[in-house]
Amino acid sequence: MPEPVLKVEGVTVTFGGLVAVDSVSFQVAAGEIVGLIGPNGAGKTTLFNAVSGYYKPTRGRISFLGRDVTGRQPYALAAGGIGRTFQIVKPFAGLSVLENIVVASYLRHPRQAAARRKAWEVLKFIGLGDRADLPAAGLTLAGRKRLEIGKALALEPKLILLDEVVAGLNPTEADQTVRLILKIRDAGMTILIVEHIMRVIMKISTRIIVLNYGRMIAQGKPDEVARDRQVVEAYLGESADATDGSTS
Amino acid sequence: MLALLPQAIVDGVLLGGIYLTVAMGFSLAFGVLHVIDFAVGEWIMLGAFVALTLTNWLHLDPLLSLPVIFLLFAAIGWVLQPLLQRVLSGSRGRPALMGLVFTFGLGLAFRGSALTVFGIFTHSLETVLSQGSLHFSRVAFFLTIPFIRLAGLVYALAVIAALNYLLKKTDFGLAIRAVAQNKEAAGLMGVDIKRTSGAVYGIYVGISAMTGVFIGAIVSLNASMGPDLALYAFFVVVLAGMGYLSGVPWAAFLLGLIQSFFLIYFNPSYVLLALFTILYTVLLISPTGMFRKGV
Amino acid sequence: MRGRPAWLWILLVIAGVGLVPVVMTDAFFLRLFTEALMWIGLAITWDIMAGYIGYLNFGHGVFFGVGAYTTALFIVKAGVPFGPAVALGGVAAGLTALVIGWPTLRLRGAYFAIGTWALNRAVGQLALVLDITGGADGMRLPPFLRPQFFSWVMLGVVGATFLVLWLLLEQAPFGLKLKAIREDESGSLAIGLNPAWLKLQAFVLSAVPAGIIGGVYAYWITFIDPSSTLGDLITDQATVMAVFGGLGTLIGPVIGAILFFAFKTYFWAYLSDYQVLYLIILGLAIAATVLFLPDGFWGTITKRQEGRRALHKGLALKETTET
Repeated sequence: MPEPVLKVEGVTVTFGGLVAVDSVSFQVAAGEIVGLIGPNGAGKTTLFNAVSGYYKPTRGRISFLGRDVTGRQPYALAAGGIGRTFQIVKPFAGLSVLENIVVASYLRHPRQAAARRKAWEVLKFIGLGDRADLPAAGLTLAGRKRLEIGKALALEPKLILLDEVVAGLNPTEADQTVRLILKIRDAGMTILIVEHIMRVIMKISTRIIVLNYGRMIAQGKPDEVARDRQVVEAYLGESADATDGSTS
Repeated sequence: MLALLPQAIVDGVLLGGIYLTVAMGFSLAFGVLHVIDFAVGEWIMLGAFVALTLTNWLHLDPLLSLPVIFLLFAAIGWVLQPLLQRVLSGSRGRPALMGLVFTFGLGLAFRGSALTVFGIFTHSLETVLSQGSLHFSRVAFFLTIPFIRLAGLVYALAVIAALNYLLKKTDFGLAIRAVAQNKEAAGLMGVDIKRTSGAVYGIYVGISAMTGVFIGAIVSLNASMGPDLALYAFFVVVLAGMGYLSGVPWAAFLLGLIQSFFLIYFNPSYVLLALFTILYTVLLISPTGMFRKGV
Repeated sequence: MRGRPAWLWILLVIAGVGLVPVVMTDAFFLRLFTEALMWIGLAITWDIMAGYIGYLNFGHGVFFGVGAYTTALFIVKAGVPFGPAVALGGVAAGLTALVIGWPTLRLRGAYFAIGTWALNRAVGQLALVLDITGGADGMRLPPFLRPQFFSWVMLGVVGATFLVLWLLLEQAPFGLKLKAIREDESGSLAIGLNPAWLKLQAFVLSAVPAGIIGGVYAYWITFIDPSSTLGDLITDQATVMAVFGGLGTLIGPVIGAILFFAFKTYFWAYLSDYQVLYLIILGLAIAATVLFLPDGFWGTITKRQEGRRALHKGLALKETTET
């Protein structure tokens, strides 16, 4: 069996007395789109932060492409092939849209000319080519979210972590982003995605992982998970109907 | 040698008390406004000089001018704060950076103004308490405590008590603490951020200016003394942990003790070097202060 | 600055400026000329940290002073010739940056400002108390009174600094990486940047030229003391010049330095009775620039141009690209 791209084993992340992620274990195979869902505060972004090196797990192991990467710095993980977006988008506001991507391109293309070429490719791929010289701060939210994805793509990652890239967009923009995500999958990358918009995540994920209070309470195909008693209970008070485009 | 120890300790404590007042105001201002005021030393210096001017004009004892100094400088701080706010919330990038540069520039302007008006010479503030001191003489040690230094301690305790009361026992204090913890939430709960920030800055400036009067009376005043005083203030708040008020007394007394020990036992010229080394070591090992509670 | 080899233009400008001391040989003028160049050098090196990375070095003068004293010590006490002594001054400044930068750059900007500011005062005090540095009386260097020589040396040093910085910060990836750190240090980790290492490099890069300039200053003025080389005024002026000119660019501080130095010279000439007024003006200039012209003089001009250009370019591209 081919080595999973990502292997999370018994990862626990605590802050002082608060257990944000509690003994979570799962794997992500190459080419999958794995969706991570759960009520607010379930620990999804914390898990992302652990996988991308921003938090060091208190316990447990994270393996990427067969190598132990637990606790390594984010830039080492980026070099190793993990890219991510942030829930609260962090564009380099004072730089232009193009420059944002160019900086990220330096990782794989250390020379200026090659980096710029790569950046243009990425810009066209994500559809921001016409806004290349605009200051990043001048983009709409949809643009900024797309830029965020672009920066991660420029790293030429094997695994890309998408944190709520659809939230806050109107239906048209959301659909465009979904098409982009599928394009990314088709380009050969593995995706781990956190999203609150059920309609989206249930549709595109090959597998779903559900977190609640830091613990994994369900894992499996989207329709299996949607019917899971525990999952429905966890979302009690919010609409857990998988076909409803609800946001929490 | 040992006979001097009690004197060194007492001097240190008394001195520390003075620094305590500035540091508390400074830390409070940082907690609420999130700005490091590089002009802190100049506020102290200006307070001392204004007191000197008042004394010369009105033949008033500087200690009596304390309330006036406080009100005057609090008003100045209140008026200045919106400008500072404008810089800090700038739409252009790096507002925190710009805030630092702004206060840096202000400090420079104040220093220049003081030099222009008062010249480069050192003065001292004479108060009714400047002469005379308490003497203790025992077999093992002797102690001389000038009244004015004792007054400084009384002042420091009064300021701490007043701040404590303000913060813990009044609604306004509650507002201040709320803003310090979470500005947005406090605003949503009806706290007038502008007024609160303005008031805090005003209080901090007012206290610093009053402390200047005591420093002028106990030590001396000089238009260029701002930077050294700012260093002391930074030392205390960094050691205490930025924004962590409970740590300030310890750090302040430590500073006072270091200074007095160097004065009595070692070479006073090395004080700055010692402080700097300690400051750096602390920043190295524990940037959030001795108690690791800073921001 | 567009297209064809920018470095060529820069070299041409430097060469052009180098002709000035040939034509204008008046000693007083050359003194001003050399000093103006010195300030350009100090302003652009300060801007590396402040403008490109967003870290305020309120003790930048310490590099100048360390360079000056190191050079003086080597010339006076060890008989080392001018050239190597100045180089050693630069090395000393660089080492200072390395040793200090390692702990302080890990912290946030405000702590860095405090730390560097404290460093400057501490080294100043060190120079005061040590015998070898002559204490408050300072040090006298063997006189070498050739105004033209020093103008060219200063031009060479500052010109080379500008060129190197231009290549590193405006052409090479290094500059953009620094700016990314400035915009979002935490986010820059995710795209593969190591901020600690980059910041340290930049810090040393800002220190070495300042140290060399200090070394040249020492031999040029033939007298140094703690207040002239390790006092606040060096940092204060470099700060104003860079902020007023425009942070985050190389041209901004150059313009700021020239403008401010010109102002200072006229001020000195006509208002020498009110010298302390200068400090007030310095301070108010910093505060006012931050309030009203946060991008600085040059920055404001270029931002407007850039904005217009980006809009036109984008509108043109929109016709040819799909969204």
